Amino acid sequence: MKHRLLVLQMATPVLAILFGMLSASVIILAIGRNPLDVYAVMVRFNLTRTDSLFSILFKTTPLIFAGLAVALSFRVSLFNIGVEGQYYIGAFCAALVGFSLRGLPAVLHLPLALLAAAGGAMVWALVPIVLKLRRGAHEVITTIMMNYIASALLLYLINDVFRDPTQIGTPRVRTPLVAAAARVPSLGPLLAPLGLHGSDVEKLNLLLPVGIVIAVVLAYFLSRTRFGYEVRAVAFNPLAAEAAGIPNARVQFGMFMLSAGIAGLVGLNDILGFFGYLDIDFPKGLGFLGISVALLAKNNPLGVIPAALLFGFLDRGAAGVQFFARVPKEIIVILQALIILAIVVAYELLTRYVRTQRKREAELPVTATPAAEATGR
Amino acid sequence: MEYMTSLFSVALLASAIRVTMPILLASLGAVHAERGGVVNIGLEGIMIMGTFFGAVGAYAFDTRFPSLAQTWPNLAPLAGVLAAVAAGLLFGLIHALVTITFRVDQIISGVALNLLAGGLARFLNILLFEKATQSPGVRGFTPIDIPLLRDLPALRPLVTGVSPMIITGVVLVAVSQWVLRRTRFGLRLRAVGEYPLAADTLGVNVYHLRYAGVLLSGALAGMAGAYLAIEQARLYFEGMTQGRGFIALAAMIFGNWWPVGALGASALFGYFDALSLRVVRLPVPYQFINVLPHIVTILVLAGFVRRARMPAADGVPYTKEEE
Repeated sequence: MKHRLLVLQMATPVLAILFGMLSASVIILAIGRNPLDVYAVMVRFNLTRTDSLFSILFKTTPLIFAGLAVALSFRVSLFNIGVEGQYYIGAFCAALVGFSLRGLPAVLHLPLALLAAAGGAMVWALVPIVLKLRRGAHEVITTIMMNYIASALLLYLINDVFRDPTQIGTPRVRTPLVAAAARVPSLGPLLAPLGLHGSDVEKLNLLLPVGIVIAVVLAYFLSRTRFGYEVRAVAFNPLAAEAAGIPNARVQFGMFMLSAGIAGLVGLNDILGFFGYLDIDFPKGLGFLGISVALLAKNNPLGVIPAALLFGFLDRGAAGVQFFARVPKEIIVILQALIILAIVVAYELLTRYVRTQRKREAELPVTATPAAEATGR
Repeated sequence: MEYMTSLFSVALLASAIRVTMPILLASLGAVHAERGGVVNIGLEGIMIMGTFFGAVGAYAFDTRFPSLAQTWPNLAPLAGVLAAVAAGLLFGLIHALVTITFRVDQIISGVALNLLAGGLARFLNILLFEKATQSPGVRGFTPIDIPLLRDLPALRPLVTGVSPMIITGVVLVAVSQWVLRRTRFGLRLRAVGEYPLAADTLGVNVYHLRYAGVLLSGALAGMAGAYLAIEQARLYFEGMTQGRGFIALAAMIFGNWWPVGALGASALFGYFDALSLRVVRLPVPYQFINVLPHIVTILVLAGFVRRARMPAADGVPYTKEEE
């Protein structure tokens, strides 16, 4: 019984992904193309080219941060849909520290930029969380509104206040270049001895291992520390937690701030790791992808890594599908949304199945009881 | 001080009434969904579908049946509205299936619908019009002058050249208010949102009524999108909803989950929306004028939400079997 459940739990996300692909196939069929060809092109494009492999890892990096940020808020029953806006602000703060300070050593400048990114995003996130805890304003709508405001604020700051004076008169609307000391070091030099070269290898930077380490630390933090215990108590039964002396509001506030702090780092893979400046066309939508990643990972920090990898894979695959299969790359966005719907339905069905199984076993004679307990949460 | 007077001009009010409509229609939809106990954050995505299919429907009718469209100029926009409502119903059906039948978290389903709509609109737009972000132009409904009122010079900008959809919207407010307060369907819908178990024991089918509420919200949000594309912009372009689906949710809350309240709240948002659309001389950079409605939304949620009382079972999935 226990093994069967474990297999089922592992199989659920796979089945959901397959179901999402199946639904997307209907759309591909409807436009008169063969879905198998399209998926084959995507897999071949992604797996047989080394530049694709590194590009996938590059795209995975911000999704790890975004997925972690969303997952942390979900863990305390808050919906941080504002990761999107928080990382805009974080990216700007990092760029600001990066281009306005000069002459600092890298050991000081880079951490300062990272801190500015996390801190700026946390300040931005104060508005929705304080309004939620103090005034009862629903954080879903307030964070979404903060996203629109962040986007407008960023346009204003980049275009009207901090635009690189050397670029005026060109179509480039961007900030001045970030000092070399504030750039995130590339992993290229480390990978070169392994015979890996090329611009896609150079793009990989230190934030990838940093993201993985943060995921591991968070997993430990949530499962082994006192605060982690409080987080789980608040999530499972807020009333009981409150009665046991765990302040719900403080735990929620702490987790939301942690979520925002990590959200602030989402944009840095591109800004400090690759471009070296912030322009108005910097990559957007990563915060929303983070929601998908967190859902797929069931809000488990370690699960975020493979989930981010899958979405990085799909993201890169979009380019291949568009170029080689001549299907608009937006099919991948549709596929991603369908996968989320399939995933959440599948997890719900699994939970229901486990519950009825447990009930059935509880009704059986004594022998079944230990097994039923073993499957309990 | 010159800009102060421009803040209250009749032209601005007329424009405010026009831009109130999409928020109002979506907000009416939200009222129906949440009165039945289902939060529909996917309204934004449904509106996106409405803008896209509204424009596509109107455009397709115009190009397929040019002679009909010539004889009855209102037919093409009507086809657009119907297409938008159909798309809204389809998205509503997905939301209902996922949240009512499968009892998945309603916020998550809504977020997924928003993503799906964004991708689908781009994808289909490329297939149909060979570019990602914009449809060809479409024709709107023939505007109407309201009899009697049009003879008052002071009101002229407000009552002449009115879109029939605006009149429909105002009628829908009255009808919805009456339905929710007085009819068997409305009372049952509210019962299902307040105390589904009690409604269930009285023989009311909770699932059916919740489906009805969510489907209505889909249809109305689709219509809201159609209004934006057909009556306001006369084409579809990407991002034209600008979060109005979410703002509509705030309007519903501010309006205390009643259609008439939603009208008042939508008018408030419409006013700020009109300010952000018109070139009103304000001493602030234009980027900030654009987000005025969003700022007002946050203020409204923070300041007034406590006075409101939401349906007791709003957002809570209902399980029939005993657990």
